[in-house]
Amino acid sequence: MSDKWLNRPDGMDSLAAALPSIDRALDRRINADPENLERGLAQLVLTIVELLRQLMERQALRRMDDGSLSDDEVERLGQTFMKLSERMRELREEFGLDEEDLNLNLGPLGNLL
Amino acid sequence: MIDLYAITDHPGPALPDATPLRLVARGSLAGVCGAAGAEEAVTPEGLWRHERIVEDLMQNRDVLPVRYGTRFPDESAAGRVLEERGEQFAAALDRVRGAVELAVRVISGPGVPPPADDEATAVGAGEVGAGTAYLRARQREKAASSEAANVVHQPLSAVARDHVTGPGTLPGELLRAAYLVSADAVATFTATVGRLQVEHRGLLITCTGPWPAYSFAQR
Repeated sequence: MSDKWLNRPDGMDSLAAALPSIDRALDRRINADPENLERGLAQLVLTIVELLRQLMERQALRRMDDGSLSDDEVERLGQTFMKLSERMRELREEFGLDEEDLNLNLGPLGNLL
Repeated sequence: MIDLYAITDHPGPALPDATPLRLVARGSLAGVCGAAGAEEAVTPEGLWRHERIVEDLMQNRDVLPVRYGTRFPDESAAGRVLEERGEQFAAALDRVRGAVELAVRVISGPGVPPPADDEATAVGAGEVGAGTAYLRARQREKAASSEAANVVHQPLSAVARDHVTGPGTLPGELLRAAYLVSADAVATFTATVGRLQVEHRGLLITCTGPWPAYSFAQR
């Protein structure tokens, strides 16, 4: 396969480090595991919550850009998103999920998040 | 069961003899098929075997690559699909004619400072609240990613005939794109990638190929 590299930068470690998670994603898609129902459910629910969180955050950034938010509102929203992001991290840890686990592969549409 | 590997013009050059392949010809198109193995499972080995066959075909003809795992009960079933969707396949084959796919990923390297740094400074200086600092940092992060992606994508898309970009799936991935590049422009394309890599040391730019034009087979 080495002949397929047309540009291979130094420091490919970050890419290599991500490979185990790709393997896991493959496993997950092919072998639905009835033993792991709870974790699977948590994963699905957290994925939806994360989708909503990101959508709302994007909306907040857009409104911040066009100046339709007061300084107070920006601060309050920022605090909320910061705490949400922190809480999501805790929940992920609780269920043993990585950031990449909170995603759905939508085939030709790419990933949900 | 038979596997369908690719769709090509008919008639075309003789099939490579490394693997036993058969042609299912309908009109000006032919599907290149082979007996499917007994195993149903999707395996990396199976995927590479499929890839090798399509790449062998690619050496001396235009191919519309077919996704790994496309199976038919027999040759007449494959032939029926070629008849029913012939027009669509012919148009797709025309689109990728004389071109290959090159895959590019841009990952933010160690040279790009994490935006969290200025966030901490801003809070420390007491200029803005933590919430505002958080949102501003997110904003900068987003702007930096899209700028880095554009800096690479613009010059490459200018050399390519077509492109598709997809959302990144790796940590720090700023751009994931496939470019449809005419065979005679591949050298220019890779030289451009090399130049961009030299100019942007903070980015890891990977480029692989030439691949069959999988990303452009279906539009």
